[in-house]
Amino acid sequence: MPTIEASFGDLERLVGVKLPKEAGKLDDLLYYVKGQVESFEGEMLKVEIKDGNRPDLWNVEGIARCLRLAIGVEGGLRSYAIEDSSKIKVLVDSRLEKIRPYIACSILKNVKLDDDVIRGLMHLQDKLDQTYGRNRRRASIGLYNFDLIEPPLRYTVARPTEVSFVPLDAAEEMTLEEILRKHPKGLQYGGIIGKHRYLPILMDKKNRVLSFPPIINSNDLGKITENVENVLVEVTGTIFQNLLNTLTIVSLSLADRGGQIYSVEVDYPYGKEKRVITPKIESKLMVLRPSYVNEVLGLNLKTETVAELLKKAGYGIAGSRRDEITVIVPCSRIDIMHSVDIVEDVAIMFGYNSIKPEWPRLATVGSVSEREVFSNLVREVMVGLGFQEVLCFSMSTPQILFDMMNLERSPVIEVSNPRTLTYTCLRNWLMPSLMEFLGHNTHMEYPQKVFEVGECVVFDEKNETKSQEIRKLACLIVHSNSNFSEIKATLDSLFLNLGIEYRLEETDHRSFIDGRVAKVLIGNREAGIVGEIDPAVIQEWKLRNPIAGFEINLDILLQKAKF
Amino acid sequence: MVELHSLEVKILQALKSERRLSIDDLEEKTKISIDSISRASLWLASKNLVSIEEREERYVRLGSEGERFLETGLPERALVGFILKAEGKTSYDQLTRLSGFKNEEIDIAIGWAKKKGWLRVFKERGKTVLESKKPFEVGSDERVLELLSGGPVLLRNLSPALLEGLNLLKRRPDVIVSSRKIERFVTLTDKGLGAVEKIRAPVKEVSQLTPELIQSGDWRVVKLRKYDLTAPVLRIWPGKKQPYRRFLDVLKERLVSLGFKEMEGPLVELMFLNCDALFMPQDHPAREIHDIYFVKAPLHGDLSAYGQIVKKVKAAHENGWKTGSSGWGYEFSVLEASRLILRSQGTALSVRTLISKDLDIPGKYFSIARCYRPDVVDKSHLTEFNQVEGIILGKELTFRNLLGVLEKFAVEIAEADKVVFRPDYFPFTEPSVELSAYKEGYGWVEFGGAGIFRPEVTLPLGISVPVIAWGLGVDRLFMMKAEIDDIRTLFTQDLEWLRKKRIV
Repeated sequence: MPTIEASFGDLERLVGVKLPKEAGKLDDLLYYVKGQVESFEGEMLKVEIKDGNRPDLWNVEGIARCLRLAIGVEGGLRSYAIEDSSKIKVLVDSRLEKIRPYIACSILKNVKLDDDVIRGLMHLQDKLDQTYGRNRRRASIGLYNFDLIEPPLRYTVARPTEVSFVPLDAAEEMTLEEILRKHPKGLQYGGIIGKHRYLPILMDKKNRVLSFPPIINSNDLGKITENVENVLVEVTGTIFQNLLNTLTIVSLSLADRGGQIYSVEVDYPYGKEKRVITPKIESKLMVLRPSYVNEVLGLNLKTETVAELLKKAGYGIAGSRRDEITVIVPCSRIDIMHSVDIVEDVAIMFGYNSIKPEWPRLATVGSVSEREVFSNLVREVMVGLGFQEVLCFSMSTPQILFDMMNLERSPVIEVSNPRTLTYTCLRNWLMPSLMEFLGHNTHMEYPQKVFEVGECVVFDEKNETKSQEIRKLACLIVHSNSNFSEIKATLDSLFLNLGIEYRLEETDHRSFIDGRVAKVLIGNREAGIVGEIDPAVIQEWKLRNPIAGFEINLDILLQKAKF
Repeated sequence: MVELHSLEVKILQALKSERRLSIDDLEEKTKISIDSISRASLWLASKNLVSIEEREERYVRLGSEGERFLETGLPERALVGFILKAEGKTSYDQLTRLSGFKNEEIDIAIGWAKKKGWLRVFKERGKTVLESKKPFEVGSDERVLELLSGGPVLLRNLSPALLEGLNLLKRRPDVIVSSRKIERFVTLTDKGLGAVEKIRAPVKEVSQLTPELIQSGDWRVVKLRKYDLTAPVLRIWPGKKQPYRRFLDVLKERLVSLGFKEMEGPLVELMFLNCDALFMPQDHPAREIHDIYFVKAPLHGDLSAYGQIVKKVKAAHENGWKTGSSGWGYEFSVLEASRLILRSQGTALSVRTLISKDLDIPGKYFSIARCYRPDVVDKSHLTEFNQVEGIILGKELTFRNLLGVLEKFAVEIAEADKVVFRPDYFPFTEPSVELSAYKEGYGWVEFGGAGIFRPEVTLPLGISVPVIAWGLGVDRLFMMKAEIDDIRTLFTQDLEWLRKKRIV
């Protein structure tokens, strides 16, 4: 969810009317752009935009655009047009097909830039790169001072040590290889193209480097300052539609600052279209049926009303019949994929809080799952037996699940991208969590009786997820006289209350004292373990009293429980 | 109720059965000293609980001769015994020579025997002869001797016959000694009897009633010490539900009462159900390693159960398929969709439910799902958390119903006073709404979000009715109610907190 920074005065100027300064009233306006005031200090306004798919709102120009429409300063489709062809060409090298195949450009002339605008532009570029451009992998943006460039441009390749230039804001020249190795941007984004023998490079006629896509611009040609009047916008990447959308957003944002849009011709040696004119800022047409609008929203809007609301949202109306409106979708709305997207805009303009909520009259019967009912019964019995329920994380580490319980490690569901060393896998049994809990409470009064009902996960080849969740119950009793008799009595009482017959059978388990541990069997199925914890394990957890406990598979119990 | 001294109580209780006892008897019964009994009796008499009488009592006991006669028997008895041994007849000379009696004794014995008619004395051939025919029965004086062998006896206790015997004994020197004594008697009055009935006066103070006291009846004669209400006692830590779980239990009940059915599903999930079927493009930022936990091994699960659906979802992503959408316009990888991850959103369960054969239309479903996201665990972040979400589907559901559902939740679950709706965004719903709820004392809180599933989601799953997807941020609600500001407390390891936390 991007946060847009803007100067309040700038926003006001762009919108064209005085805006309220109280956060509440400002939020009411920002409703129209799915935004909320995050902070407002002095002149600096920070707005959080909820929509991750509306890059057109990710700068103050875009926000202002929408607010103008919502307030009514202007209505209907804002048409942007390409002023003329710039007659500039971009020639693409065939070797880029396998490296970073697409490029699209536009030129904005007579742009009025100042610090605020430039800052906003940089932020927009950043947000687009990160989110919409998927960390520059899908698309990355370059901005250049057009007056310093001599066309045609060549989008070509070079060997890593063949070319060098001064990267943006650096002091001296670096080769491509050096940039990948030493420059922060090289380290951050190098993975996108670094493995290729040839690296992408954008140059002008005089073989001056404009940039090393997607890594960094040149300092000489790619630095945007207040006195730049003509801007070249370039987007490179891997998905063409995405590039075009990105180019559109940036171009429109500069157009809102007075720039006139000039097109560029890109010549491809591969792909379906060999000559592509960019940017593509034509509006697209979509048919919207007011009956569909009403069906989705539960309203009864007349066609004229729907048309009015559409205009308020910035759409154009190409034609309107009784149940059919031909809608002109502005080029800034790259998010419109289905007419349902337009319906949302109608609803927003109508006002979410003007629509009367209606609880759906559906005859449904509520229920908790059988597993839940059973679990709650078990929890009830355990509470009745005097145990304190605890809730522990289901993520753990092999060290806790095995090493500290004196067990050999066996496979558990591990994650390949843990964020910390503390949570690297899903637990396959509950008792270690309870031991950890006890370890945090050695200063508390004894006896301590704790239990948890929770999910554990083990491998299972048969399942589509190659794993199986098991609901388990585990409990531990700690005090100076804790022993098998007590835990067995507890187990007896539990099973008596659940109406299940069970028996115990001697077994080995290294977490428990040899000769003081047993398998819990229900019929012929092994359903759990009960015993006294081995003092080696007790000490491992820095505990000082005897501990007895059991762990039971509740899914097996559920099958046997007589209700 | 008059407060009685413990001595008084003991005396009253001793008198309860016989009602009248001498002071000596009381001493024996109560083991209290005569002086104390006398004193206490006077107190009792002043309260009219007893009456005291004095009586002069005359006693007789054996004197030194009497003691001797106990050993030897009366002399006349011995005399007759001798005579009978000599075949009923003996001379005086023989008697003096052979009997072993002393001379003085013989004369006295003869005198007494003659008086009792036990022998005949006559002269024969100039000698004195004594004759006795048979042993005579025990006389009353002998019986008195026996009686007095046990110690002094009250004169008034002797029967007329025994008195006769006593008088006989008295004619002999040193056999009987008389004495007088003032006897005092204490008698329980009716009032006294009434008082005894009421006595629970302490004989002994105890701090605890025991089974022995109950069963022996001694509970009537002991005093249970008054309990000090300010005395500190042991703390009891009862068995107890974990507060956050209890909160979720209540939440479940509320949802069930609103007609929602619980969904279940695995923690380890297929990327397909968690993201792809929800129309999240495969390079969406929320699917990256920063936002989803990927399973290390195995990398991939099995999508074969979803066959046709996978094809349709693929088409929807690439070009919109038949949904009327333009799609995302990229190449969809089935391999990528089969990646195994830790479920990152509860909506994966909704997808499973929509695919399931048991789906009810109309239907209302909910789940409280444990979800995972790579994140540091700190005051405001968890790496695993619960999401409460679900779906509602039915033929004529509309956006108004969506708003109605959110509003109902805000009122029923968050107990909100006011609600406000704002536009929101989710990749899988359109239109989408965010709900903010206002509660007196808490202010505005973002409580949940909802939207109508996009056709790119529902159509490939074979669903042709509108599906409302909703989600609630209940963790925040719980934190507000429980007055905690650290989200880690939901999974607290602090036993003290758990023990002392009042049930919210």
